[in-house]
Amino acid sequence: MNDIVYYMATLAVLFCIYNILTLGLNIQFGYTGILDFAYITFLAAGAYFAGVSALPRAGGTDQEYILGLSWPFPLTLALGAVVAGLLGVAVGGTILSRWNLRSDYLGIVTVAFGTICYDLVGNLTPLFNGWFGLRGIPQPLNRLLNLNPNTYTLFFLGVCVVIMLVLWLVANRIYHSPLGRTMRAIREDVDVAATFGKDTVKVRMLAMCIGCVYAGIAGGLLIEFIGGIAPDSWTTAETFIVWAAMIIGGQGNNLGAAVGTLLVTVVFIEGTRFLPPVPGHPLLIAAARNIAIGVLLIVTLRFHPQGLVPERRARAPRGWQAPGAPMPASSLSNNPGVGR
Amino acid sequence: MHLILNSFGFGLVTASVLALAAVGVTLQFGVTNYVNFAYGEFLTVGAYLTWMLNVQLHVNFWLAAAGGAIVTGLGAVAISEFVLKPFVRRGARLLFLLIVTLGLSLILANVFQILWGTDFRKFAIANQQVFSAGPLIFTPNQIIIMAIGIGAMLAIHWLLKHTKLGKAMRAMSDNLSLARVSGVDTDRVTRWTWFISGCLAGLAGVMLALSAEGFQPSFGEQFLFVIFASVVLGGVGQPYGAMLGALIIGVVTEMSAAVLSSALKGDVAFLVLIVMILIRPQGLIPSQGKA
Repeated sequence: MNDIVYYMATLAVLFCIYNILTLGLNIQFGYTGILDFAYITFLAAGAYFAGVSALPRAGGTDQEYILGLSWPFPLTLALGAVVAGLLGVAVGGTILSRWNLRSDYLGIVTVAFGTICYDLVGNLTPLFNGWFGLRGIPQPLNRLLNLNPNTYTLFFLGVCVVIMLVLWLVANRIYHSPLGRTMRAIREDVDVAATFGKDTVKVRMLAMCIGCVYAGIAGGLLIEFIGGIAPDSWTTAETFIVWAAMIIGGQGNNLGAAVGTLLVTVVFIEGTRFLPPVPGHPLLIAAARNIAIGVLLIVTLRFHPQGLVPERRARAPRGWQAPGAPMPASSLSNNPGVGR
Repeated sequence: MHLILNSFGFGLVTASVLALAAVGVTLQFGVTNYVNFAYGEFLTVGAYLTWMLNVQLHVNFWLAAAGGAIVTGLGAVAISEFVLKPFVRRGARLLFLLIVTLGLSLILANVFQILWGTDFRKFAIANQQVFSAGPLIFTPNQIIIMAIGIGAMLAIHWLLKHTKLGKAMRAMSDNLSLARVSGVDTDRVTRWTWFISGCLAGLAGVMLALSAEGFQPSFGEQFLFVIFASVVLGGVGQPYGAMLGALIIGVVTEMSAAVLSSALKGDVAFLVLIVMILIRPQGLIPSQGKA
């Protein structure tokens, strides 16, 4: 019985962390239409900085890393979030500063950025212990609480749920705020938004930054929970899994993001972890799972691009009538034609 | 000094491989108007098909390379017809198409992992005697890689300037609707473009594997952004720009490897990409409407 509770709590923690991740990507792509193919790199940034700020000074152990500040829990998470956000601003600054650059360039730069970070972190061992990765991150607050592993997981679940709910509320607030409306206008047509006097560069940078802060927080929680991270756990495939969760669930809709997270990361990734390995092909199940996720994503985009929980159509404010047009003002989400 | 000259020679070899790949990307981008993020996997397919023919079926290496390239081209056409064309026909958003190609890249990478494992592979070719050409030192294979690169570029030049297909490709790249109303069979030209792009990718994959003397399933994907750097440097959608970009990136990365460290080769290409996007996103040879 205890084992089942422990297992369910672990799954729930992972769900919370992945959901924060999907919410952040939803702000970047679902709200604003930013194509970030290196999203998982920002999770890694948050995780590494949360990790090295929680660890004691390097030297006594066989690991090499920078900082080593022995900070307490919420501070480590904050540092991870800040670093991820700053990195997001840096990456965004190179491409989003030209508001009319096609989104192909965004994809190209983020793919290149992801590859470079992966190589650098792996090859420069003094930074974060290279390809071996960081490990032995102390469990947050457990020195004070002194709980046994089962109770501690429940405690950590509580922390994650609170953080996730707060971030979810913030994401919803952004969606319904004037800022969120500007973001969606930019997503539909950046030229039109610019014509109406919106500072599209600033808003897109903000969306990029907020999304990356979400990723950084998710990374911080992840490393504090599992106790370590290595370069092989944040490749393009992992970015793609977050993308799949968001798109299958419903882009631009936070409830959809949560449904997608539950389906893709919990059912697919965690659910298949316990299938018996095929003899002679140890990697078969993981590879087949990634193929299934890829196919599911392409099929979703092809036949039901709005996802399982579609974004609600925006309504015009009460009392406002479109001049001479019976159509709702923004049925733009099914806009045909290749946009930016 | 000797070392730097040598790395210049090696830069020319890398540039030949890059030129094959970059021209493939840019031709397809020009005609279809979206970037293919699964292109790195096309390189991998070419290398592995060649390896299967060469090592498992004992076909002569050069025949195997040609076979690998052609089958990769056919595969590219199949992907375009069955996966991407439905999206294009329905007028899907550009963002969706880009995500679909990234999804394809993940699917293909995992299929390769199942088919071919993750071990390093090598072609069955004898070790070669090094010889010097003036101050530069080459192996015969490197000379052949450069010859193939130059030959392919001349063939592309001839295709674009002197054949009806090439002229139609340039017309579609300049203005799709105008090409269509002028009677260009855009579906047919698109199929041919994907075929040529796939063949070039397959060939580039084989040459890359040959020059690196070994490969594994992820090697194409890891090379992808260096290809992109050449394409952006030359001007997206510009075949001659891609050749120029490949030459610059190839020589600069290999020479920086000699001066700095070979681990930083990729970072130099990345730096060039970022600087280009910051100061001149349209590339050295700009084409209208593609930036």
